[in-house]
Amino acid sequence: MTSPTTAADPGVVMIEARTVEKWYPNGFHALRGVDLTVHQGEVVVIMGPSGSGKSTFLRTFNALEDFQKGSIVVDGIELSDDVRRIDAIRREVGMVFQQFNLFPHLSVLDNLTLAPTLVRHRSKAEVQRQALELLARVGIHEQAHKFPGQLSGGQQQRVAIARSLCMEPRLLLFDEPTSALDPEMVQEVLMVMQELAREGMTMVVVTHEVRFARQVADRVVLMAEGEVVEIAPPERFFTAPQHPRSRQFLSQIS
Amino acid sequence: MNRARALTNRLRRELFATPLDGLITVVLLIGLVSGLKALLHWSLTQADWAVIQANSTLLAVGRYPLNQQWRLWLLTALLSGAAGISWGLLRGAGWPRSDRLAAAVLLVLGLVLPAGLGLAAPLQQRWWWLTALLLVGRWAAGRWGCELPPRWRRLLPLTWPVLYLSGLGLIGGGLGLMTVRPSQWGGLLLTLTEASFAIVVCCPLGIALALGRCSELPLLRWCSTLYIEFIRGAPLITLLFLGQNILGFLLPGGLAPDRVWRAAWILTFFAAAYVAEAVRAGLAALPRGQWEAARSLGLNMVQTLQHVVLPQALRAALPAIVGQFITLLQDTTLLSLIGLLDLLGVARAVMANPEFLGRNAEVYLVLAILFWCCCAALGVGSRSLERHLNRQVLRSQP
Repeated sequence: MTSPTTAADPGVVMIEARTVEKWYPNGFHALRGVDLTVHQGEVVVIMGPSGSGKSTFLRTFNALEDFQKGSIVVDGIELSDDVRRIDAIRREVGMVFQQFNLFPHLSVLDNLTLAPTLVRHRSKAEVQRQALELLARVGIHEQAHKFPGQLSGGQQQRVAIARSLCMEPRLLLFDEPTSALDPEMVQEVLMVMQELAREGMTMVVVTHEVRFARQVADRVVLMAEGEVVEIAPPERFFTAPQHPRSRQFLSQIS
Repeated sequence: MNRARALTNRLRRELFATPLDGLITVVLLIGLVSGLKALLHWSLTQADWAVIQANSTLLAVGRYPLNQQWRLWLLTALLSGAAGISWGLLRGAGWPRSDRLAAAVLLVLGLVLPAGLGLAAPLQQRWWWLTALLLVGRWAAGRWGCELPPRWRRLLPLTWPVLYLSGLGLIGGGLGLMTVRPSQWGGLLLTLTEASFAIVVCCPLGIALALGRCSELPLLRWCSTLYIEFIRGAPLITLLFLGQNILGFLLPGGLAPDRVWRAAWILTFFAAAYVAEAVRAGLAALPRGQWEAARSLGLNMVQTLQHVVLPQALRAALPAIVGQFITLLQDTTLLSLIGLLDLLGVARAVMANPEFLGRNAEVYLVLAILFWCCCAALGVGSRSLERHLNRQVLRSQP
């Protein structure tokens, strides 16, 4: 894999979210003034009970969800209704979904090469070379010509990660990447993510994996009822949570 | 010995497992045998096939000028060759059982049927040539097709649209060929021309309407919905009559110059509404995550539709769309009610001829068989396309 060209610079802000508020069309107040700053090379894990708005918040970063108040700046580009800006942000922000969302009618290799050739206009041969390298790195290069339906869940999720990496993103979003996996496949996906973090990829991860958060995260964010309750380094968050809501959450998941 | 016992075992298991099964089998067998016997008896002793023999040209092409009919034979030959070559390229050198069966049916149709219908000797020979062309094309393309450079093989899907357009040219004339006005087309020729035109044009129209109905732009959505619901709420025959009166000023003059083309456009617009609903069902069956994954990779709306959404949605909608095509082919019989000489229109004219009074059963039977052949061909084609497209999905079953 081509390692990130610029070494991670913690001085650079990748995401700047200010008092983001969102109402769903049915009137549900999903985000109630959320703030978050993510620096380059940082791994931020967002935790919280279901319905706390953590996935919704994550999905506002690449405009899969809109919001009504506040502002979000991603990689220096302010999110607005301007379609071209949204496309520009999505080119630089990769996303990995709970349900993998691979394209079932395309081979694994074509899943990886589709976006770089269409969006970045790179030559197919060059992208294929890079794609095969990436597949080797996530440990499934011998499956390159199979179709997604022929792979296990863990393999599919690793393909999905490789697909995002093939666009050479500056930021990766993970939306509960291991929640749809059988228990024995969780590790293989987490290992790939840990490896990415070590190489300095900026990552925002919504997950319930406490061990991953402890070992990999730079900061843990706890969300509840559409608000950020606590932001702390993992060591302090898991051993000495400050907020009663955090303590309640931790007692529920352990 | 063993095989005989296996056969009896199988018969007992499948036909006579319980007393009730046995009863059903016996009743059905009696019904089948007596029905077939009656049909054979009628067709061999009582039916008078002279009505078909005397009118075969009329039923096939209507009043198409006699000295121009070589164009239709040429077109049929081109189609047979192209069909054989496509068949061979898709299946390769081997002849699996389904292919052997299809070849046998074609041989019987091509060699025995023309003689059985009592066609003139030169006509019979032309049918033999057509059959030979189809089967030799299948054999040759299967044998040497895989040695062609891939660039050539990729041209294959392109040959069919080209063939279709040149076919319309051959039928209608122009570019040095004598013009044959659409009012002179008739019989099976008219039926197939109208149906194929509607089938080809209604697809892009239907896809556009389905996308319009799912669009986020309110005006586009309302217009598409209004159109689809209006068409689906009106009987085709009403629309056909309406179209003869209003299409003249709705469409640019060159597109619907006469009754035949007006009817073709009405069939197209009618089928498009139903195709749109089938495509919409395919779109609705696609998980939202497919959109989100494509958009989050930076694909724009058009790229997402072209490379991710439509390939999957159309595959899901294919059976319903082909069902619509079959209905459309049968609906062309309504053209006879607005005075066009399609297959049914010609048949009614033949039956009105005092010379062949009372020979309705023979004519209608031939009509039914012809329509069945066309629909069966559509069904076979669509099923093999479906299998072709579903290879990955089937292979991926654990």
